[in-house]
Amino acid sequence: MRGPPPGPFRPGFFRSPLRGPRLTAILGLTLLGLVAIVAVTGFLSHAAYQPDLGNNAIVEPDLPLTFFDWPTGPSWLYALNQGLHVNAGLVAVPWLLAKLWSVMPRLFAWPPVTSAAQAVERATIALLVASTIFLFATGIANIQYWYVFDFDFVKAHYYAAVVFAAALGVHLVVKLPVALRSLRGRAGSELRDSPLVAIAPDAPVLSRRALLAAVGGGSAALLVANAGESIGGPLRRIAFLAPRRDGGFPVNKTAAGAKITEAMTGPAYRLVLAGGGGEIALSREELLALPQATHTLTLGCVEGWSTRQQWTGVPLLELARIAGVRDPSQLTVGSLQPKGILRQATLAANQVADSRSLLVLKVGGVDLEPDHGYPARIIVPGLPGVHNTKWVGRMEFRA
Amino acid sequence: MKRYGASPVHLLAHLAALALAAWALLQIPGLGNWQRIVVWLVAAVVLHDLVLFPAYTVAGRLVGRSPYVRVPLALSALLLLVFFPVMCGKGEGAYTRVSGVEWDGYAERWLLVSALLFLGSGILYAVRSRT
Repeated sequence: MRGPPPGPFRPGFFRSPLRGPRLTAILGLTLLGLVAIVAVTGFLSHAAYQPDLGNNAIVEPDLPLTFFDWPTGPSWLYALNQGLHVNAGLVAVPWLLAKLWSVMPRLFAWPPVTSAAQAVERATIALLVASTIFLFATGIANIQYWYVFDFDFVKAHYYAAVVFAAALGVHLVVKLPVALRSLRGRAGSELRDSPLVAIAPDAPVLSRRALLAAVGGGSAALLVANAGESIGGPLRRIAFLAPRRDGGFPVNKTAAGAKITEAMTGPAYRLVLAGGGGEIALSREELLALPQATHTLTLGCVEGWSTRQQWTGVPLLELARIAGVRDPSQLTVGSLQPKGILRQATLAANQVADSRSLLVLKVGGVDLEPDHGYPARIIVPGLPGVHNTKWVGRMEFRA
Repeated sequence: MKRYGASPVHLLAHLAALALAAWALLQIPGLGNWQRIVVWLVAAVVLHDLVLFPAYTVAGRLVGRSPYVRVPLALSALLLLVFFPVMCGKGEGAYTRVSGVEWDGYAERWLLVSALLFLGSGILYAVRSRT
């Protein structure tokens, strides 16, 4: 049999003295902890959009992930979920790069396939690496509003995440025992024989501990650069590279962007309540004359930024009563916004029933600004930001 | 299972995972512009394994072996790799359209933080090499 082709396929090509099963185990287990957070929060976010209700589905509820009611408390639940998703994802980047670096000699193993078992293993690893980098690249571009991909981000991110979860699961079946064995006990002879260990190592530049510290330093730098936008308040300004370090009360849709005109929101504005047979139209003055409640609640965006505000408005249950529906099972809220998949959202019974769920007329004691949804918008504690419909024109309660 | 080369658990676990992954991949042709998703999945591996990895390996060799140079350089490059879209204003149009505000100073802040990293490492090196 002929020998391996030149270059990285030759034994001795990789010379770092740091590579070895123990380093890969440490990197892999740390990365596992981080991507587990990212994956769980990602699938939870899918559930939080309640794709099985009304026309909510951006991604069809095709996997059994939406079997529970998304809770309304604590109000920062969704902000926390997305803060973890985005920031744990950023923190994982250097661990991912280091982990891939540590196993790079395996990519160029020669012969490339020695058994059927190894062939299927390599195929799943190809899926794992492809889906992982795809998820990181699309997610990182998306939080920076760089829509360079001309496909549907949400759907592609979701199905790639399913590929990732499947491939990671089987990778753990195969490699978790190996990783734990490498960490336990002293490096035995089978570890020294590992194909990760350099045959002709260079003199060390860094100790393994220093390398891990540098990777952790990379995580810390990315966390400081971004986390402020997730926590909000004064920390927002410290987040020196966060896409949402702008202060105040950020929006993800301006009135102009949503094509909301003054004619829609002026004196002719009426909120239509439906559900109990007929329809009832209320002006903003009539809404202001109804019983009001004030709550301080956190609004969290899927992109990982959040804002905490004092909201004043009519409790949704009060509007259900006026519409003539006792204990509504669902509420579909429609915006005046003429276009866009997110111009309406359907809420579940537990969300309408929460006394803190409001049709908001004022924020911080003053009238809503046009960009924040004047004349009226929804706030439901724990709900994904974009489902808190702005410029509400119609509310349809279902018994 | 001598032929296969591993235990039945190994085979069954892989079959289960590959079946689920195949299901997810088969949803992709139902999406708009799905060919681009496939291109991105393949490009993800190629760009990492055959572009990024060789590039930073060569860069590491070029800057020499001192960790006092390599570590701050790697940190600065990491911030650039992750946040270059915002630094280069890649999403500026979309960002201003949705948020009503404008981006400002990202590349400048990255340069200043990089300067701090190099300066800090230089001071550390100077102090440590004196003692």
